[in-house]
Amino acid sequence: MIAGGGSTPFSRHPGRTVLSLAREAGTKALADAGLAPADIGMGIFANVLSGKLFGDLTVGQNAFAEMGIPRIPVFNVENACASGSSAVHLACMAIRAGEVECAMVIGAEKMCVPQIGLLSSGDSELDTLLGLVAPASFALRARRHMTEFGTTLEQLAMVSVKSRRHSARNSNAMFRTPVTVEQVLASPMIADPLTRLQSCPIADGASAVIVCSGKMGRRIGARVAVRATMLSSGNYDNPQDLARWRTDYEGVSRVYELAGIGPEDLDVVECHDAFSISEIMHYEALRLCPPGGGGELLESGTTSLGGRIPVNVSGGLLSRGHPVGATGVEQVLELTRQLRGDAGSRQVGGARVGLAHCMGGDRSADTKSMTAIVLAT
Amino acid sequence: MSGSIMDAEKTGGGLPPLMPDLYESLAEPGRYGLVGSRCRTCGCISFPLDAHCPKCRGGTGREVVGTRGTLYSYTVVRTKAPFGLPQPYAVGYVDLAESSLRVFGLLDPAAIGSLEVGMPVEVTVMPLGVDNEGRRCLRPVFRASGDRRERSIP
Repeated sequence: MIAGGGSTPFSRHPGRTVLSLAREAGTKALADAGLAPADIGMGIFANVLSGKLFGDLTVGQNAFAEMGIPRIPVFNVENACASGSSAVHLACMAIRAGEVECAMVIGAEKMCVPQIGLLSSGDSELDTLLGLVAPASFALRARRHMTEFGTTLEQLAMVSVKSRRHSARNSNAMFRTPVTVEQVLASPMIADPLTRLQSCPIADGASAVIVCSGKMGRRIGARVAVRATMLSSGNYDNPQDLARWRTDYEGVSRVYELAGIGPEDLDVVECHDAFSISEIMHYEALRLCPPGGGGELLESGTTSLGGRIPVNVSGGLLSRGHPVGATGVEQVLELTRQLRGDAGSRQVGGARVGLAHCMGGDRSADTKSMTAIVLAT
Repeated sequence: MSGSIMDAEKTGGGLPPLMPDLYESLAEPGRYGLVGSRCRTCGCISFPLDAHCPKCRGGTGREVVGTRGTLYSYTVVRTKAPFGLPQPYAVGYVDLAESSLRVFGLLDPAAIGSLEVGMPVEVTVMPLGVDNEGRRCLRPVFRASGDRRERSIP
């Protein structure tokens, strides 16, 4: 079960370290769960860039030590954008295995620094050397999706418009000013057809959740259960269909099977909207609509707050900001708020089942890691 | 693996390739092919060259896996260009004509304004950017295959 959670605002935090962000999120999570440091039996720390940017390794041990939680087993997890969600999956595995009663997951990232450079899948990989940067890999999907399904530039832009409409209700989000389709399309081109306002911003921030066994959860009055978690790698087959992401479709099918649910059972979704096209493609993999129907589904308002299945009511990566290691944890925390009825003005009425979906890394036109986590009350 | 002296002059002097065994010049002057592998056990074709088959881990042989194809998708990248690539630069996925592979690659910078899904392209080699140690180098590039025919017809 989810015992509790907490996070920092996702923003630029000049002058703060990744450790100070992590400590804030972890301390808030303990307070939210009503637990003490001694209750935490395992620590899992998701972070992607501290090694590259600051030369820091095994940061997780430092974070837990500074929170007064030494001695416990600590794992440092890096799965690109899916690091945080992979860490949650690992915590759930440890609890399912009976290894510990209670584990804290912290995802933290400090990346708004001058030396950030371009994010890619690794500087020694052939695709990177041939110019494959993150926006390009999604732009290539967008172009193919438009070609095969007639998805329009306006539909892509509407993802960002919806995202800002949602994030206006999330005080922890980085960008909260509403934008119009015209503004999204007129913002600087990053990798056509994707403009800057269709690309998630980098951010500093941390998010933490505490996962516990059902027995412990009942004792402390936790209300949100983890129904299923899954992590897979890509298949890397060649050729890859850039308009129908097979690893995504298969991962979602797997988590539905594990949770014993279908798309019709979902009340709220947080998905990996790294770029506008991502969200449209994930609707299709989640079977919220038929393949190719993502643009129309968005346009219909079904995935907006107030629609049948609201997606990324937090603002998602596009508006909340994307501190890479923290994102996957924050998705789970957002669903926890929604399922507890604690989401304030962005509450999805009567939400009982939520799904968090994330992807990280790029290899051979496929994702390197994909996670899906189903929570329910 | 390196082209003739004439090719080298046209394509960037004595610059080294981005990495060894990525492409090779063909018998026909000015033509290049991407170098990959064919599995000796299951016949699977892969790119780039790998001593082991990605499907069955069998041993492989070196093979030219494509010299031309059609453009499956493309984009023009306008962020700060990595590895000294021109700004902006174009990339895409190409369905190779000689195998079932869909490969990622750079597209001819001169074609940025005229890219279309489905257009025929061919492999060439250009001095473009630097390698991961900062040395200027040659990279394989897909260019519109019409270009070459037009030039060769008097």
